[in-house]
Amino acid sequence: MTDPIIKPDVMRISWGPQHPMSGQTRILLDVDGEKVHRIIADLGFTHRGIEKILENRTFFQGIIPIERMVMADTANIGLSYVTAIEKALGIEVPERANWIRSLMCEMARINSHLYAFGLQAESTGYFPAVFLWTTTDRTILLDLFEELTGARWSYNFFMPGGVHKDLPEGFQAKVVKGVEYLRRRFEDYWVAMVENAVFEVRCDGLAVLKPEDAIRLGATGPVLRGSGIPMDVRKDEPYAAYADLDFDVITEPACDVMARTKVRYREIGESLKIMEQVANEIPGGEIATKTSPFVRPKQPAEVMSRVETARGEIGIHMFTEAAPNPYRVKINSPTLRNMYVFERMAELSEILMADIPVVINSIDPWYLDSDR
Amino acid sequence: MLEEPKEPKRNFESLPGAKALYSVVDYVAGWSRKYSIWPIHLVTGCCGPEFMQTSGSEYDMERLGVLPFASVRQCDCIMVVGVVSRKMAIRVKYLYEQMGEPKYVVAVGACPTGKGPFYDSYAAVAIDEYVPVDVYIPGCPPRPEGIISGMMLLQEKIRNEKRIGVKE
Amino acid sequence: MSEEAILAQIMEAHSDKIESAKVLQPRCLSVVAKMDGLVEVAESLKTRFGFTMPVACGGVDYLNDQRIQMIYYAHNPEQKIMLTYRVNLPRDGPKMPTLTMVWGAMDFHEREAHEMFGIEFEGHTNMIPFLLPPDWRGGHPLRKDFKGEGATQ
Repeated sequence: MTDPIIKPDVMRISWGPQHPMSGQTRILLDVDGEKVHRIIADLGFTHRGIEKILENRTFFQGIIPIERMVMADTANIGLSYVTAIEKALGIEVPERANWIRSLMCEMARINSHLYAFGLQAESTGYFPAVFLWTTTDRTILLDLFEELTGARWSYNFFMPGGVHKDLPEGFQAKVVKGVEYLRRRFEDYWVAMVENAVFEVRCDGLAVLKPEDAIRLGATGPVLRGSGIPMDVRKDEPYAAYADLDFDVITEPACDVMARTKVRYREIGESLKIMEQVANEIPGGEIATKTSPFVRPKQPAEVMSRVETARGEIGIHMFTEAAPNPYRVKINSPTLRNMYVFERMAELSEILMADIPVVINSIDPWYLDSDR
Repeated sequence: MLEEPKEPKRNFESLPGAKALYSVVDYVAGWSRKYSIWPIHLVTGCCGPEFMQTSGSEYDMERLGVLPFASVRQCDCIMVVGVVSRKMAIRVKYLYEQMGEPKYVVAVGACPTGKGPFYDSYAAVAIDEYVPVDVYIPGCPPRPEGIISGMMLLQEKIRNEKRIGVKE
Repeated sequence: MSEEAILAQIMEAHSDKIESAKVLQPRCLSVVAKMDGLVEVAESLKTRFGFTMPVACGGVDYLNDQRIQMIYYAHNPEQKIMLTYRVNLPRDGPKMPTLTMVWGAMDFHEREAHEMFGIEFEGHTNMIPFLLPPDWRGGHPLRKDFKGEGATQ
């Protein structure tokens, strides 16, 4: 696999785990001059064996390792695991807890999309300015998280039955103020990233993924919606409070790298709308149904729970038996589905070697998610 | 019992005034080296976003002289940020062998120290079985103030080193 | 169309090749197939019943029953229904034909199942190491009797 000369004209380049733009993976490229013939993804550099670890933890303890799957939007991943437990044990969640969960999921989604923007700007024209803008704007969200939960990135705030604590005094006003600030900064990103001449030259028409190919290869998240297909778990199978909230599913018809950037950009706008609705209209009531930490199901069950994370759809298929630990947890990760799409992109359209960082950051991979 | 570190023997130390001159030279060398630690750009696990926030605008790590750089031959520090699996640990060892002396390793987070929340995982390893570590920064993920305070500990260690004119 | 109606149509079309089928939860079906006719039923589920979007595949090790169940997840984008397509394999020397001819994206996931459970996929063209390190000393991590023997340190 690592032999550099394959055929007389083709050379295999190894773009490895130590590189400013590659992330924690190794990508092998078969190139002929500048044109890329074949992409091979060598994953597994961050494999921790989370599926095996979850079999040795109780239900409450399992929330901690599974949230470390994607550090940028831990709320969505934690919610998928907690929803699976609640379905398996038949626990009802009060309405106020569902609204708080939706608020945190949307804040995590904005956090993750800003991170994706920063990386995309760095790979396209080396814009450290945009990357540093995103770190500054994320501090607003991280400060809100810290006030509510005590931690900045991995808060382990959801538990089967509800959430740990209620919103503190004055929190809703702070959310509204944060949303106004982010809306003003939001317009700067459009001018810097989408209307920018450098971006248009580099990203328009690159790595086109047609709708039928997107479905056949199993794309998910903004990669799928950037090819014009309106699939979003928040609308197809509503969970938490999304059935009561008013938002749109964003799609773009152009199917290229610029379309995926625009999808992420407009999704931030929809998330800000949801945050405002929650801050203004959240109902009162209880925040959790009392559940013992040593809960165990009475008979074996099998449940499936799906949640829309920032990168796509995560599915948790949980098998339980009459024991305090789950029997098997199968995690269907979004990045692993999108990495297969990335491998096939060299066959679908012509990509040059210099475009590979731009294309891979438009897929927005997080390798800890695909390696679990 | 921990021993006191011995003073290294130096060239020309029997000449008059050599001790005073060496202490001035050590001070200047230590001051200039501690303010230019260049770590290699290698994020191995989930503490990555917190490391990027630390290099960002609010907790700017570059004012301490810490500039992440791309090529390992021009760096002098590896910051192992996050969970290390065996596949990645082999690469960390290759990078450590390629760096020039003097070189340092900082383990950021609970996972490279002792596997963190994945303590019974078959695939995660603790990095001090592969490379010698100078500073351990605990936390999951550590706060930016924690990462900066860990780098300042490394700066203290560098400032107290005596390397110029040491007899082999 | 409701899930029960789709299930009834599937049972009617392939009643001799399917062991059992049921509705797992709203918008999720479960079909357990027999070993012969596995690929044909998968092909018909994809082309005739519309489960065109591959999601993932993985296995479950039932130590008490001495079987490993391999589960394929596929999605129907028009009707928004998820299918879990299953087959039971024996625990000693599990072998099955690959389903990458039907759903191409199962490539990565079958490589992972080969490493984690030891299942041989006949006809898989790209079986190279996926998640485990290249000097793994044997042992299949997700089996229930795995004792941590594969790691080199």
